[in-house]
Amino acid sequence: MTDGHPILEIDHVSRSYAENGKEFRVLEDISFQVHDRDFTCIVGPSGCGKSTLLREIVGLDRPTSGRILFDGEPVRAEDTRVSMVFQSFALFPWLTVTQNVQLGLEAHKVPEEERQSKAKKYIEAVGLAGFENAYPRELSGGMKQRVGIARALVMDPLLLCMDEPFSALDALTAQNLRDEILALWTNPDLPPSAVLMVTHSIDEAVYLADRVVALSARPGRIVKVEQIDLPRPRNRKEPEFYGWVDEIYSLIV
Amino acid sequence: MPNSPQVNEGGKSLADMHPIAKVSVGQILGLVEAIDEVGGSADVATISQEVEMDIDRLGPIIDAAELLGFVKVSEGDLTITDLSRKVLHAGVRERKKIIRDIIDDVPIFKEVMAMARAAGRPLSRDEVLGAIAAQVGTHNAADLFNALVYWGRYTELVSYDSESEELTLRAPSP
Repeated sequence: MTDGHPILEIDHVSRSYAENGKEFRVLEDISFQVHDRDFTCIVGPSGCGKSTLLREIVGLDRPTSGRILFDGEPVRAEDTRVSMVFQSFALFPWLTVTQNVQLGLEAHKVPEEERQSKAKKYIEAVGLAGFENAYPRELSGGMKQRVGIARALVMDPLLLCMDEPFSALDALTAQNLRDEILALWTNPDLPPSAVLMVTHSIDEAVYLADRVVALSARPGRIVKVEQIDLPRPRNRKEPEFYGWVDEIYSLIV
Repeated sequence: MPNSPQVNEGGKSLADMHPIAKVSVGQILGLVEAIDEVGGSADVATISQEVEMDIDRLGPIIDAAELLGFVKVSEGDLTITDLSRKVLHAGVRERKKIIRDIIDDVPIFKEVMAMARAAGRPLSRDEVLGAIAAQVGTHNAADLFNALVYWGRYTELVSYDSESEELTLRAPSP
């Protein structure tokens, strides 16, 4: 990665759908950038188009107008340098933990031996060693999401995209996983280099992110991009912390 | 919180695996983090509000954290221990090692491990269930079996194949 351009550039992106002959605007004129080592959170009320935006960023959907550049080129769904973690985990129930983690490597014809060693490395990194041959039905929600994270990391992504990754989990499990995501992101020996996460929780965004992109209600427009300069580990009980939460809350509600 | 009479001051005298049967490591660590965040000590009601979990759901997690020696419970107040501070700052491997040393001491876990060693072959689910039922009755045997598999996998002392329903001992990665 060069320092010259951002990893990700969202350039005047809008998205609308036609419904009963009427135009239905979801996203309007979104522009921001993600740089190497950034942890960026996109927050906004439900229905503001933040998940649509993330789908466009990973190449699963296309903007009606505007451009999305990854490493200076138009983004492609098959680019393994961008990985995605889903709210619903999206695991295959008939595959073991190891098989689920290896899936993307198989699709890209990575040799068996390398698949095994990479899967092992990331299963261990997310704390799932010991569960290699377990099936998703044997795992708690938190562990299922660890599989989702290992499956994304095994592709060595530059950018890890996460769509509400903790919202299906209980509060304790979610907090524990947030800290582990931060630990992975700050570990220079492991991917990802940058994280882009969508969340409806302002608290979660302020806890995790360097930068928070706040979107308005539908159609989603950027209300403000805030640089959160609180030192880590952050404490949600400190006045500066909820000062940030209050400010962002007042922007989007 | 009801007091658990079998617990000594160190919180390490685990009569059986009941308290840790239905909670995950992530929940226990999440609880420890939540208490740490409010200064290391708080009453149950505060934590319950803090983590948006009612006492019915939080209770088993508190019991588990107490029995593992991560939290001290006294008259409704929760205080994290030195051990839990150590766990919070530990990496993945070190954290597992700390928890492995604790789980290793759980009598029912010990017994199944010894049974597998003596057999020198994989144990079937039914064999293990039988051994557990002999100790605690059939009523809770299945829950305890699942707990044994969960904590056994987490500590990397046991591997279990849910297709063949066979439980095997394994050597933890260094």
